[in-house]
Amino acid sequence: MTADKEKRRAISREAARRRRRVESDVFGDLSQLLPLQPSVRANLDKPSVIRLTLSYIRMHTLLKGSAGLKAQTSHTVRYGQVLEGGEERQMHDGGRDKEEKGTEEVEVSEETNMYLRIMEGFLMVLSTEGDMIYLSDNVSKYMGLTQAELMGHNIFEFTHPCDHEEIRNNLRLTAEQVWSGAKRDFVMRIKSALTHRGRSANLKSATWKVLHCQGRAKVCVTPSSVSCLLLTCQPLPLSHTLLSTHTFTSQHSMDMRFTYCDQRVTLLLGYSPQELLGRSIYDLCHTLDIKCLTKNHLNLCLKSQSVSGQYRMLVRGGGYVWVESHSAVIPSVKPSKSRPGAHQPLCILCVTYVLSGVEEPSLQLSLDQTLNRYLS
Amino acid sequence: MSAGGSEGTADRTADPAAEEKGQASQAGPSLPAVELPRKRKGVVEEKSDTHVQQSIDFQMEDELSRSEAEDQQVKMKCFREPHRQIEKRRRDKMNNLIDELSAMIPACQPMARKLDKLTVLRKAVQHLKALKAGTSGAFSDTTYKPSILPHDDLRHLLLRAADSFLLVVSCDRAKILFISESVSKILNFSRLELTGQSLFDFIHPKDINKVKEQLSSSELFPRQRLIDAATGAQVPADTPVRVSHLSTGARRSFFCRMKHSRVTGKHEDKRSLPSTSKKKDTYRYCTLHCTGYMRSWPSSQLDSEGDAEKEPSNLTCLVMVCRLHPHVSHHPSKDINVKPTEFVTRCAIDGKFIYVDQQATTVIGFLPQEVLGTSCYEYFHQDDLQHLAEKHRQVLRNKEKIETQCYKFKTKYGSYVSLQSQWFSFTNPWTKEVEFIVSLNRVISRGPGHTKDEEEAGGSKALQEDIKQIPVIPGLSSGLGPMIYAGSIGTQIANELIDSYRMNSSPSSGSSSPFGTAQEKCPLVSPKTSRSASSREDTAGSSSQSQSDSKTTAGGAASGSTGEPSQLDLDNMVVPGLSSFSNDEAAMAVIMSLLETDVNMGQSGDFEDLHWPF
Repeated sequence: MTADKEKRRAISREAARRRRRVESDVFGDLSQLLPLQPSVRANLDKPSVIRLTLSYIRMHTLLKGSAGLKAQTSHTVRYGQVLEGGEERQMHDGGRDKEEKGTEEVEVSEETNMYLRIMEGFLMVLSTEGDMIYLSDNVSKYMGLTQAELMGHNIFEFTHPCDHEEIRNNLRLTAEQVWSGAKRDFVMRIKSALTHRGRSANLKSATWKVLHCQGRAKVCVTPSSVSCLLLTCQPLPLSHTLLSTHTFTSQHSMDMRFTYCDQRVTLLLGYSPQELLGRSIYDLCHTLDIKCLTKNHLNLCLKSQSVSGQYRMLVRGGGYVWVESHSAVIPSVKPSKSRPGAHQPLCILCVTYVLSGVEEPSLQLSLDQTLNRYLS
Repeated sequence: MSAGGSEGTADRTADPAAEEKGQASQAGPSLPAVELPRKRKGVVEEKSDTHVQQSIDFQMEDELSRSEAEDQQVKMKCFREPHRQIEKRRRDKMNNLIDELSAMIPACQPMARKLDKLTVLRKAVQHLKALKAGTSGAFSDTTYKPSILPHDDLRHLLLRAADSFLLVVSCDRAKILFISESVSKILNFSRLELTGQSLFDFIHPKDINKVKEQLSSSELFPRQRLIDAATGAQVPADTPVRVSHLSTGARRSFFCRMKHSRVTGKHEDKRSLPSTSKKKDTYRYCTLHCTGYMRSWPSSQLDSEGDAEKEPSNLTCLVMVCRLHPHVSHHPSKDINVKPTEFVTRCAIDGKFIYVDQQATTVIGFLPQEVLGTSCYEYFHQDDLQHLAEKHRQVLRNKEKIETQCYKFKTKYGSYVSLQSQWFSFTNPWTKEVEFIVSLNRVISRGPGHTKDEEEAGGSKALQEDIKQIPVIPGLSSGLGPMIYAGSIGTQIANELIDSYRMNSSPSSGSSSPFGTAQEKCPLVSPKTSRSASSREDTAGSSSQSQSDSKTTAGGAASGSTGEPSQLDLDNMVVPGLSSFSNDEAAMAVIMSLLETDVNMGQSGDFEDLHWPF
């Protein structure tokens, strides 16, 4: 009896092994067809292969309709001529030997890489359900996880739960919005498995990174493809390079009252730093921009970093200037042995860029302005 | 970091916990990492067997108290059970993925029954092959880095997402060395027109200084300041950055305004552009956010100039991406379903407001205190009066909610807002009388109603038949005619109700009424009501105030004590001189007459229904 059972078990084991082998072969075939680097391909597990296949197919459907919208070939000829500089040098030498198509590919790839590098961000294509259909490969620089690991997963697995509502709102698209390429601009927190030194660590020890996402809805020509958002995601920098005249920095308490402002504000807005201390930024801005500032403030409180978008600040004697602020919350710093000095409480640091000149200098928009203009 | 040392072909049991996190898992058996006290997974190189051993050790600690035989059993059970769950999860996940895949592949679509895993995978392979054959063989050339997306597509997506163009300008003379094709979409100038031009020709005059500043190379201008947001302190740049042509130089980020032409399409003649155009208003400016970095190359590499006598100096350029700065307004997307404005009001049975929600002000313009005590009929548009009066009557007699149609409500400023309301009446369980009507009013967003400034209800407009001329109510000046008139509709209706109560029960002076004044006035008003009601019956209208016309309510009740006073033959009603009563005698008289009525009706059960307020 038992021998019989044994034999049967052995047969079924063999069959199972065979099945598994066949399955693995098919998986292998599939992964071979995916345009991946060999090193990446070797490390894929089965679910990942399917995930990436799905992404590939989806992207293909998405872009199928825009075949006609791709860059014209006419530019490639000029491309080679106009370009100067070291980085394109190699294309000069090599480009003329290859077929035009190959040249075009290389040039385009150089251009896109340059774009991504300068922009300091990565591209994300998000479906309306939140699936990250596509991520440009430099995502590993920002999230510590590679393109192959992330593509096809859902963004809600990687973002801060408190931001999910906002992300969902941004993903809501009507047909009309998709066709008109409605724009999106929001800030969210995403997991980053990068250590301080820039090395990738385990996702369990991930920290939150604040990303500024901007983009628009993508027109889908084929009916089978799901509409999606194209977004560039840029981490908000924590250090800014400033040059003199058109920016100024300020520090605020958490309620956005000025606690410090640098001297350059005088040239730009007319106020002296002293008279700004203790005043709320909401007092100093155009009433119609209060919503913009509130959103900025909320982002700061919740996500610790924010980009304000354009708003108007009132100039001392009348009129206003268009500005944009990049702000961050600075954690409170207690004086210690390594860092002696005064205790720095939790506060907000703003770098404000002035975008325009003084508009309508005689327009009085606040009582304050009138007082300043006529009484001082 | 590698994605984990998994072998592609072996049937690996992936660790689902790690899988969920998007990482291809580590080599090793799947362990119930979730169930066990979690061992922190550091870097990937843990040996699989030690891991197993350690986990089992954890288990062992828990089961120390058990016997040997049980130990073995328990070990296996604890090990296998969560393992089963993990296996199940993994299988479910795989099945989901396979389902998704079959949904994406056209070949799998028309199948009636679900395809098995292997078939789906095979079809996927075929599909991919077909896709690749269809494309221009972009992936066949493996000399450069293959990527999931052909670069062309990536660029297209990038440009679409980011409304930007690439710009390379030389720092010494701000000559545009390179600009990408996408500029034509953003500034409406073609690439050809811009390349080789001076950037300053295209910048807003007020921003020229700013841009000049930005172009100054870092070596000459060490006054850049860094703000370290971690500390908030300004960090002076200590040494000017040494730039080789392969490494990135100093970063620049600024905003500037650039011209963009209103005329789309290419301009034929380059020279007719900005420099010659004197009219500044031909151009509009758009704000661009420019970010990039400085790069310098030894200029001997430049061969396009063809100038061999060029000094061997460094050519420094600013390479940047200029992104159209969107003025995205920060309000919630219109897709978010905002509840239409609703507000609640309460009215007495005659339609006078006794409570108004504060939110009403945003809709009707009046503050709550401005409308309290006034009749809602004063605000209804005359076209709606009939239907609303009807609903008013209905709600007083029904227990359920009554929906009105859309009607217009007059706002403070004379215009009308479209509302639709749900009314229901609140009946006092003790007195069984309607105390008030609650109205839930919803704003129907339609076009603005026709603006009727005055309530011309009392005017020359044709009125519905059952709304009659103004009965003169003593004590109120005639100047308020129209308004009182409208208000009196409500009062009429209320009185009908009250009358119906009287028919059913004693005129319990103790019965609660939402407002004291009406109660007092009730006896006074009812004769007039009945008069006007009676005049309602015949259009001739009667303004007779004499008490001789008063009829007892009792008589009237005979014909319709069911509470439908509108059908009452009020001509038969006799109200014994109530307008002149001032003492209890008249009250008694009324009671008596009512009792007589009830007796006349011969409904013995009525006496039980009579409500005697003791």
